[in-house]
Amino acid sequence: MPTFYLDDQAIEFEPGEKIIAAAKRAGIDIPHYCYHPALSVVATCRMCLVDIVDMGNGRPAPKLMTSCSTDAAEGMKILSQNEKVVEGRELVMEFLLVNHPLDCPICDQAGECTLQDFSFEYGSGNSEMEYSKRVYGWRDIGTFVTLERNRCIHCTRCDRFTREITGTNEFGVFNRGHQLTVDTFTDQPMTNKFQGNMADICPVGCITEREFRFKKRAWKLKKTNSICNRCSTGCNITVEEDKNKVFRFKPRENQEVNQWWMCDDGRISYRDYGKNKNRFLQPMGRVKGNLVKASWDQIFEALKSRIADLSPNPNEVVALSDNFASNEELFLLKKMLADVFDSDKIFFPLRAWSQHETAYPIDSLITTDKSPNRAGAIALGLLGDEDDAKLKEALSETVKIAFILGNPFNEDNEILELLAKAELIVYIGTENNHWTEKADVLLPGQTHVEKEGTFTNKNSRVQRSNIAVKAPKETKPEWMILTELIQFMGKDADFHTSRAVFEAIGASNDHFKGMTFDSVGDLGSLLTSI
Amino acid sequence: MLEETLVLFKNVRQPGYSGDLASYQSSGGYSALKKALKMKPEEIVNTVKESNLRGRGGAGFPTGLKWSFMAKGTGKPSYLVINADEGEPGTFKDREIMLKEPHMFLEGYMIGCYAIGCHHGYIYVRGEFVPAMQRLQEAIDECYQSGLLGDKIAGSDFKLDITLHPGAGAYICGEETALLDSLEGRRGQPRTKPPFPAVAGFNGCPTSVNNVETLMNVPSIINDGAEAFKELGPPNNAGTHLVSLSGHVNNPGVYELKMGVNLKDIIYDIGGGILGGKELKGVIPGGSSTPVLRPDEIDIPYDFDSLAKAKSMMGSSAIIVFNEDTDVVKFLYRIVKFYNHESCGQCTPCREGTNWSRLMLRQFVQQQGTPQQLKRLYRVGGNMMGTTLCPLGDACAMPLRAFLEKYPEEFQAHFAEAS
Repeated sequence: MPTFYLDDQAIEFEPGEKIIAAAKRAGIDIPHYCYHPALSVVATCRMCLVDIVDMGNGRPAPKLMTSCSTDAAEGMKILSQNEKVVEGRELVMEFLLVNHPLDCPICDQAGECTLQDFSFEYGSGNSEMEYSKRVYGWRDIGTFVTLERNRCIHCTRCDRFTREITGTNEFGVFNRGHQLTVDTFTDQPMTNKFQGNMADICPVGCITEREFRFKKRAWKLKKTNSICNRCSTGCNITVEEDKNKVFRFKPRENQEVNQWWMCDDGRISYRDYGKNKNRFLQPMGRVKGNLVKASWDQIFEALKSRIADLSPNPNEVVALSDNFASNEELFLLKKMLADVFDSDKIFFPLRAWSQHETAYPIDSLITTDKSPNRAGAIALGLLGDEDDAKLKEALSETVKIAFILGNPFNEDNEILELLAKAELIVYIGTENNHWTEKADVLLPGQTHVEKEGTFTNKNSRVQRSNIAVKAPKETKPEWMILTELIQFMGKDADFHTSRAVFEAIGASNDHFKGMTFDSVGDLGSLLTSI
Repeated sequence: MLEETLVLFKNVRQPGYSGDLASYQSSGGYSALKKALKMKPEEIVNTVKESNLRGRGGAGFPTGLKWSFMAKGTGKPSYLVINADEGEPGTFKDREIMLKEPHMFLEGYMIGCYAIGCHHGYIYVRGEFVPAMQRLQEAIDECYQSGLLGDKIAGSDFKLDITLHPGAGAYICGEETALLDSLEGRRGQPRTKPPFPAVAGFNGCPTSVNNVETLMNVPSIINDGAEAFKELGPPNNAGTHLVSLSGHVNNPGVYELKMGVNLKDIIYDIGGGILGGKELKGVIPGGSSTPVLRPDEIDIPYDFDSLAKAKSMMGSSAIIVFNEDTDVVKFLYRIVKFYNHESCGQCTPCREGTNWSRLMLRQFVQQQGTPQQLKRLYRVGGNMMGTTLCPLGDACAMPLRAFLEKYPEEFQAHFAEAS
C-alpha cells in the first residue's frame, strides 16, 4: 500500500483517501469540526490544517492545507505539530470563539464538546473580542432536538446530514457572512426519525437532545457498551448512567450494523429502565388466589413439589418465550424443557417483518420486527409459525405446566384463554402484565441493561449486551433463574456465568459453533452457519 | 503621450458604430469563427496557448493552459461557462463589452466552445446588469436568426446553443465554483478544490470558466496569429486589455491599453490627471481587493508581473485613484464592509474575520481607535490571509493590510482623544 509520513510516522493509505481519514485509521486524530466520515467534505471549519512540507513531488504546499480535503499521496511529508500549524489552529480557534457565547456552565454539551476540548488544547486562552456577540432568535424545530444557534460554529454537519444521510432535506443554511445560520425551512418542524444523530454529530451545543436537556453533566456519565433491543437491527449503543440511573442511549460506531447512527425510538427506549411501578421485585407464589411474596428457596421448593404432584407427561409441558430473550435464556429454557420434562414444546412468535429499502441506507435501521432476537430463536430451534397454528394445536390438548418468559403472544387473547387452563403457570419476567394475572409463580428477572447476554440480529449477527446498571437485590438474571431451576429439579446445569452458557451454545449448536463472548467482541460476529 | 491601442475596441471607437450583427460583420466580424471552424480544436487550443493570453477576470491564469486541463474521454459533455458576474468594485469593463461590442465576445466564445467541444454554453451575468443582459440577449438572438448559433453554426457541422443566466446579486458568485453552484440552482458558495472545475465542474462535468474579456481576445488571435498578439505586450503579459479607470481622475472610463504601459501615464495621460488639480494620495491598481500603492510607487509598468513585483496585483485591471481629500480610514471601512457583506460565511476565518475587522474599523471611523486596536486589526487581517477556502478572505485582508502598512499616520489620526 502507498505510504505517507505524518510527523515522521509512516501511514499507509488507500488511493484517493484523504489525509485525515488515513491518519484516523492509524490512530491519529487531527482536530476537526466540519469533517465527518459519513458526510461530504466541505473544508470550511479550517481546523484540520496541516503543513505539507513535501507533496510527494519534492515541493512543499504553498500554504497550510486542510487535511480533510487533501488527497494523501505517495511519499508525502506532513507536519501537524510545528509552529506554523500550532499558530494556524490557534487563529482558527480565536475566530470560532469570537461569536461563541461561552455559556458552557449551562450547556448540555459541556464535557463532550470539541469546541471546549480543542479550545483547551489548541486555543490561545485569550479573547480580544470587544464587541457584542452575535445573537440569533430562539427557534423551536420539533420534538426531539433543540436548536440553540448562538452556539453554532457553522460546520453544517446537520445540514449535510438531512441532505445526504436521511434525504429529508429539512435543514438548510440561511443568510450569509457573519449572519449565516442553520435552521429548518420556514416553520416546518423536523420530521425524520433520526434527529438524535444530529445532536451527536453537532460538535457543539447548538443541537442537543431534548430528552437529555439539563438532566446531567456529561462527564458524570459512565458508559457501557451494549446494543439497542428495540428492533431486530440491534444498533450498537452505549448505555450511559450515573448512580444506577440510565440517562441516555448513544449510538456506538459499527460499520456492519448501524454505522454511526440509531433511530429516535431506540434512543428514547432508555426511559423503560427508569422507575417502574409495574415491576415486581420478589419471587411470588399464588396462595388461595392471592400472590404472596416468598424467598427464592421457598418458591423453588414449592415449585418442585407441585411439579412432582402434577407429574406431567412430556406433551403436557409447554414453554412460551418472546423475542426479547437472549440466546442464553432461550437455550436454557429449551434445555430445561428437554432435560426435566423431556418436552420440546417451546414456542416463540414468528412474525413476517419488513424494512424500508431506500436510496438512504439509514432507513433500513428501522424494521417492523420490534424484537431483538427473532433470528436467535430460529437458530436455536424454537418452534414458531406466523399464525401460531402449531402453538394453538399444542394448547388445544391438555397442558399441565406452562413456562412463560417475557411477554410473548400478548396480542392474542385466544392463546391467553387456552393457556389459562393449565394447572401451573410459571412466569419469568420483570413486569406485571396479563400473564402475571394468570400465573401461579412469578420469578423476578432483570431488564436489558441489568444483565448480559447475546442477541442475534436480523442479519444473523450475534452481538453482546453488557451489565450497565446494578439490578434490584432480589432479582436474578433469567439465565441464572433457569440454571437454578434445572439444578433444583435434579438435572445437570453447571453454569456460573452467562459467558459459560454461551460457550455451551457454541459447543452444542452448529449455528453458533465455536463462538464465545470473546469471539463476539464489541462489534459482534455472524453466525457460523445460517 | 500615452494613447489607446485599439484591438478589442477598434469598432467601438468608430463613430456611429452600433454593435449589431450587421455592423460587426461589415467590419470583418465572424471571419475568425469561420477560420476557426476549419481548424482542428487542438490547433485552436495550441494557438491560444502560444499567444500567452492570460485570463482577464483577476487571477491572470493562462487561458490556453486552462483549456488544455479539461478532462478528456470522460463520456460526459464539456462546458465552457462565461463569468460575466463582474462584481469587483472598480471594474466595469465587461459591462461595456456586453453593451457595446457583444458580437466580438460571442465570436470568441463560439471559437472557445468549438475548441473544447462544448455544445451548450452558459453566460452567467451579474443580476444588476439588466441593460447589458438585454443587449447580449439581442445579440444572441441575432446569431440564432442568421445561423451563427444553433444546430449547424456558421454552416459547419458543429452544434452550439448559448443560454444567458442572470445571477442574483452575490459577489461571491464571481468565484468560479460558487458561480457553478449558483448556475446549478444551488446556494452560491465556493466548493472545495480539488476536484477542479476542469475535472468536475458544471453538473459534475468538465468545465472551463472564463471571463468575458478573455474570450473577446480570441478572434484577433485566430485572425492575426499568436505572434502578433504577443507583440502587443511585454513577455508573458501579452495583448491589450480593457482598463477601468475610476475615482478622482478627470476622464474616468474604460480604455483599451497595451499590457505593460506605465501606470502613472495611464492616470495622467489617459485619465487626464487628478480631479480638481489636487495631489494624488494613492492608487488601487486592480479592483478593491488589491493592495494599494502610494504615489511614489506608481511609476511601474501596468501588467500582471510588474504589479506582482510591486506586491500588488493587476486583478481585473480596475484602477481606483484617490486624492488628498480622501479619508483613507473611511475608504478602507467601506471596502471591508463590502467584503463583510459579501462573505458567504461558510468558512471560519472569513465569516468571523471580515465582521470583526469591520467592527474595529468602525471604531476608527468614529474617532475611537486605539494603538492596541490598530495592532489587532493588522493581526486579524493577517489571520484571514491564505487561510480561507476561496480568495474572498484574501480579498478583504490584502487591502486591509496594505492600507495599514502604507498609511499608518491616517489611522493614528483616528485614535480617540484620550490615547
